Amino acid sequence: MKRGKEVKTIKFSWADAFRFGYDNIKRRFHRTRIVLAAVTLGIAFFSTLYFTDAFFKVYAQMEGGSLRVENYQYWLVFVSLIVSVVSITNSMLIAVYERYREIGTMKCLGALDQHILKLFLVESIILALVGGTLGFGVGLVASVISCSFIISFKVFLQAPISVFLTLLGEAVFLSVILSAAATLYPAYKAAKLNPVEALRHEI
Amino acid sequence: MKSDYIIETENLARYYEVGGEIIKALNGVDLKVRRGEYLSIVGPSGSGKTTLFNMIGGLDRPTRGRVVIDGVDVSQLDAYELAWLRCRKIGYIFQTFNLIETLTALENVALPTIFAGVPRAEGTKKAEIFLKTVGLDQRLNHKPSELSAGQQQRVAIARAMANDPSIILADEPTGNLDLHTGTEIINLIRDLNKTRGMTVIAATHDLKMIEVSDRVIWMRDGEIEKIETEEAALKE
Repeated sequence: MKRGKEVKTIKFSWADAFRFGYDNIKRRFHRTRIVLAAVTLGIAFFSTLYFTDAFFKVYAQMEGGSLRVENYQYWLVFVSLIVSVVSITNSMLIAVYERYREIGTMKCLGALDQHILKLFLVESIILALVGGTLGFGVGLVASVISCSFIISFKVFLQAPISVFLTLLGEAVFLSVILSAAATLYPAYKAAKLNPVEALRHEI
Repeated sequence: MKSDYIIETENLARYYEVGGEIIKALNGVDLKVRRGEYLSIVGPSGSGKTTLFNMIGGLDRPTRGRVVIDGVDVSQLDAYELAWLRCRKIGYIFQTFNLIETLTALENVALPTIFAGVPRAEGTKKAEIFLKTVGLDQRLNHKPSELSAGQQQRVAIARAMANDPSIILADEPTGNLDLHTGTEIINLIRDLNKTRGMTVIAATHDLKMIEVSDRVIWMRDGEIEKIETEEAALKE
């Protein structure tokens, strides 16, 4: 029998990666919630400050006055975001370490380095989307509570909807960028694992 | 024309450097495996069985010599082609099962079909059929932790078959099983070898596995000590 030239394909689509990533997050929630907490807290802090800034601006337009967010507060946000990134990297490194054998097994079954990279990146992006949105919500509530001591409640109702939408977009975007950046090294490390060594690994 | 041999190794060697000292895990192995053969590799630990496995399985690259699988020199393959080889040509069975803990039996078996690019519904269907073949059609949605050791190894066998590979590599498949379960697993592997014509290479200490082999290879210090047929091996 004559055989045509075989087309050699190996696949792991983004849809597969999302399905796997989502399942993994759900089934390993004890581990992933640490990453989720890191993302949420960082973004919550960020959102609180930017909401406060926005409310102050609306207040200034309505009533005049010179309430403003201090520069050092932006530095604090910056530092807290760095802390978030470091803790995400740390958690992801532990996650990779815990999943050595799983990674080795997947490579035995035909996974390419890029598939493993994709899997970890997608997981962190899903967490970032959820964490970014949660952080946005927490930040909104926190800023309303803290501002309500200083400015009247109607300011919050006067704030244009575009402020909220822009900030939601920024929060989620920032969260995705930071999480992806934080996961790059752990995911790369996982992808480069030698399957022989990964399979020999015992926790 | 296809060669009669599905696997050929020529002067295969693998050296490791550990603390400035060179360890010769494999030192010049010449081996020819026929299509559909059931081959057992026996030897003390450190004799190079696992290294030979990793070489044949495309998991590790030789220091010297070559491995030819189905007429293709494995050391010439790039990462993509190697992944394809592992995915489509070879099925692995491990001593420690290595199932993915978060996936159900069905998902574990369907996993290799995803990498092979089989549509999801079709892959799941195939996985169901294979799980039925190994007698686990009542356990499709159980996680590995909810299955006994023997059942886990059955899932692993179904997974190894998922892409209809021509070679099954089994590294001490009965090493973590009791005698009775081990025998069942051996019979199952032998059965697949007979009915599906899959070439089986199994590393083992288990006499029961030697009994069902076509040939037995004795390894020592990274070299083949002798190759015997099953009858001769059992006499010893």
